[in-house]
Amino acid sequence: MNSAHPAVQLHQVTRVHGSKNTGVAALDNVSLTCPPGTWTAVMGPSGSGKSTLLHCAAGLDQVTSGRVLLAGHDITAAPDSVLTALRRRTIGFVFQTFNLISSLTAEQNVAFPAKLAGLRVSKRDVRAVLAGVGLADRATHRPRELSGGQQQRVAIARAMITRPAVLFADEPTGALDSASAKTVLALLRDMVRTAGQTILMVTHDPAVAASADTVIFLADGRIVDGLHAPTTHDVAERLAKLES
Amino acid sequence: MFQMSFSTFRERWELFAGAMLSVAVGVALVQASILVLAATGNPRIPPGLTRQQEDEVREGFVGAATVMGMTAFLAMFLAVFIVSSTFGFTVAQRRRDLALLRLTGGSRGQLRALLLSESLLLGVIGSGLGVPFGLVAQHVQIWLLIEIGLLPDGFTAPWRGWAAIVACVIGIGVALTGVFTASLRAARIRPLEALRETGKAARVMNTSRWLFGLSSAACTVAMIVWAQSTNLIGALLAALGISMCGAVAMSQLSPLVVPLTAWLLPGGLVRANLREGVRRSAATASPLIVLVALLLGLSGTFGSLAAAGGEEAKRSVNAQLVVTSTGEEAERLPAVEGIAVASRQNAVDITITAEVPDEGTTRYYSGIVAVDAADYARTHKLTPSAWNLAGLTGATVFTGPARHGDGINPGQVLSVDAAGQPLQLTVVGGLLETLEAGDSFLLPREVLPRHVWSGAPTETVVQVAPGQNPADVAQRIRQQGFGDVRTVAEWATARAKHAQDGNVEILIVLMGLAGLYALMAVVNAAVIAGTERRREFAVARVTGLTRRQVIASAVAEAVAVALIGVVLGCVVAGAGLAGIGAAVRKAIGVTVVDVPWALLAVVVIGSVAVVATTSGATAAVATRQRPVELVTAKE
Ligand SMILES: Nc1ncnc2c1ncn2[C@@H]1O[C@H](COP(=O)(O)OP(=O)(O)O)[C@@H](O)[C@H]1O
Ligand SMILES: [Mg+2]
Repeated sequence: MNSAHPAVQLHQVTRVHGSKNTGVAALDNVSLTCPPGTWTAVMGPSGSGKSTLLHCAAGLDQVTSGRVLLAGHDITAAPDSVLTALRRRTIGFVFQTFNLISSLTAEQNVAFPAKLAGLRVSKRDVRAVLAGVGLADRATHRPRELSGGQQQRVAIARAMITRPAVLFADEPTGALDSASAKTVLALLRDMVRTAGQTILMVTHDPAVAASADTVIFLADGRIVDGLHAPTTHDVAERLAKLES
Repeated sequence: MFQMSFSTFRERWELFAGAMLSVAVGVALVQASILVLAATGNPRIPPGLTRQQEDEVREGFVGAATVMGMTAFLAMFLAVFIVSSTFGFTVAQRRRDLALLRLTGGSRGQLRALLLSESLLLGVIGSGLGVPFGLVAQHVQIWLLIEIGLLPDGFTAPWRGWAAIVACVIGIGVALTGVFTASLRAARIRPLEALRETGKAARVMNTSRWLFGLSSAACTVAMIVWAQSTNLIGALLAALGISMCGAVAMSQLSPLVVPLTAWLLPGGLVRANLREGVRRSAATASPLIVLVALLLGLSGTFGSLAAAGGEEAKRSVNAQLVVTSTGEEAERLPAVEGIAVASRQNAVDITITAEVPDEGTTRYYSGIVAVDAADYARTHKLTPSAWNLAGLTGATVFTGPARHGDGINPGQVLSVDAAGQPLQLTVVGGLLETLEAGDSFLLPREVLPRHVWSGAPTETVVQVAPGQNPADVAQRIRQQGFGDVRTVAEWATARAKHAQDGNVEILIVLMGLAGLYALMAVVNAAVIAGTERRREFAVARVTGLTRRQVIASAVAEAVAVALIGVVLGCVVAGAGLAGIGAAVRKAIGVTVVDVPWALLAVVVIGSVAVVATTSGATAAVATRQRPVELVTAKE
């Protein structure tokens, strides 16, 4: 991975939904840098632009103005083929809803992105990754036969197998009970600490945000606050202030 | 990609079942039609027939070939239609899955490849089923064609391996053609759509619908306008064109038209659902629109033409009665009291050989009528032509309406073989074309040996003397031993019916087929809609509706959609018939339109019954599970 460059860099990014004059700015002049091997959490009230930030950073949404760089590549106006290539090799996604393909088994879901990318993955590798997320015995189950936490772990396994430089996660624990949430967080921590991957994660749970290296706070599309090495207590306090 | 296609197929086979079946039926019909066509290409005429009968057999073969060609074409057209609407449906339904593929690194090309390989799979399975179906279809088709008299008894079509191969290739081609627009649409799905919670469903009126819908609508309107000012052949073509284009236009634009029509219904849940489930109601209504427009449009068109032909025939004679007998018997008619003129017209079995500009030497065996020119002229109001029937004496011949435009011109000498006796007849004139095909040649009876016409089937057109009551004269003729005496009106009606007979039977074959496809499409739409609505039904039950109420409202909604489809189809068919009516008016001076009421009733009752049953059954299946399991079910 290109460690000379920041993994994610947003440069005065504005994203307006609707027409430029009358629309609402979901992001308003946001700048943000995530160095490689770090874990950043994004917090803020509902509607503050957290998801929009993540989508713009991942090249899923077009910014209205400003620049977005991913592992040193300027993707602001990148064509679809470039973005597709990035999605195959450089970035991965984990979302609140589990986003598995319902007709494929757990192991097929995990192996699929690699296959799309034309990479050869052995069944052994796939099983190993699934075992890594504690699902060795569920490899041939379909999503509807798995619990929410298990589905989320399959999604993480899918994001792990290609070892993406950057993982984007939007409320990855939002739909999970606390035990499942703990397992998932442990997996994410492992990706950052052991594999040196970068995570940009949206959450509204202070305890989850406290696992990250850095927390930034959004309100009305602007970054209004930030914390390094946060504790749950600090995060909750700042958030309460924002929401009041 | 194939792995994904396979698992999608396994998982959602019921979504594809209808499309697969329609490809299979298409392949079966194409294969059967090719085999029958190949066999009719080299007609084996049974021995011991008169030349007129041989002519009929040959014509039958041509008719059979036409039916086969039309069947195969229609089957393919409709199969493409069903496959494409099925994939349109599944792409809309699987939007999130497809967006997810993009999100996890799938390229646009891979998405297209996925859908193409799904449809390839569908085409291969459908074709595989189609070949054995084809053997059955072939038996049924041959039986039908023999039954309606187009093929002689004992007709067989030998098996040819290449026909199966051609049919399979066509079947796979149909599947791939059908998926084409859906695959383009799928490739445009953006990865972000995988993340939208309330993923705004794709617009139902997408670009290709607008494009096809509006261009077909424009074609339809142009043809409607044109039909008002063209001749009969033009109007006929326009009516067929209006039925087809109009059906396509209405069904493509049905997501707009159906909800609009729903305003006419009484309010409530059904109307709300119709407007909400636009895609679903459009999918049910469009096959019905196509069916009704084609069915009523075509049969109404042919029916009107035949009725107009009868009307024209009635107006073309200046007489009251028509007597059918042999030539010999007819000779007694002029002597019957109260008859002013009895024009005897013998359909003689002779051969006329003519040099026809485009076709070279041609032999004619049928439609040759021997007449007394003077009697014929007095009993027929002939369309003014440059030629005078008075010239039809001695070694002469007139071309009939059926040969008008063949290029057999006055002055030409035709060789005639009248039961072994050679004659040379000079063409001295011709009759103008009529709506019905009519006769081929008129020649003076006096040039023929008596035995040639004495046994020939003869129609005598009788003009009663002034002051005589036609009914009394008819009575007198019957008393003379003539069994078959009809008024001109009865004769014209019977003629129209006879002229339409072949058409009606061919139509029944084609319509049965179109009906079968419409049925498959409707069932397909109902099944897809049912699976799609599982959750919605569950929510309705959780909020207090009983299972019976849920099923009843699904049925009511489907029946309303079916009726809307039928009405819209009738609008299209009506536009075609209006053109025919105008053209007929110009040709013969009165408007003659034959509305196939009985067929309409059958179609309405049939489609409502099918739609009610399938929607009821799928709703029953979809609500079998306890609602709470579905409402709380995860993604
Ligand atoms: N597709 C869209 N069209 C119009 N407005 C949108 C769209 N997506 C998001 N928004 C608006 O942008 C703002 C930020 O949304 P979002 O990023 O989803 O917030 P968060 O994830 O923080 O809850 C909200 O006001 C939302 O209504
Ligand atoms: Mg959000």
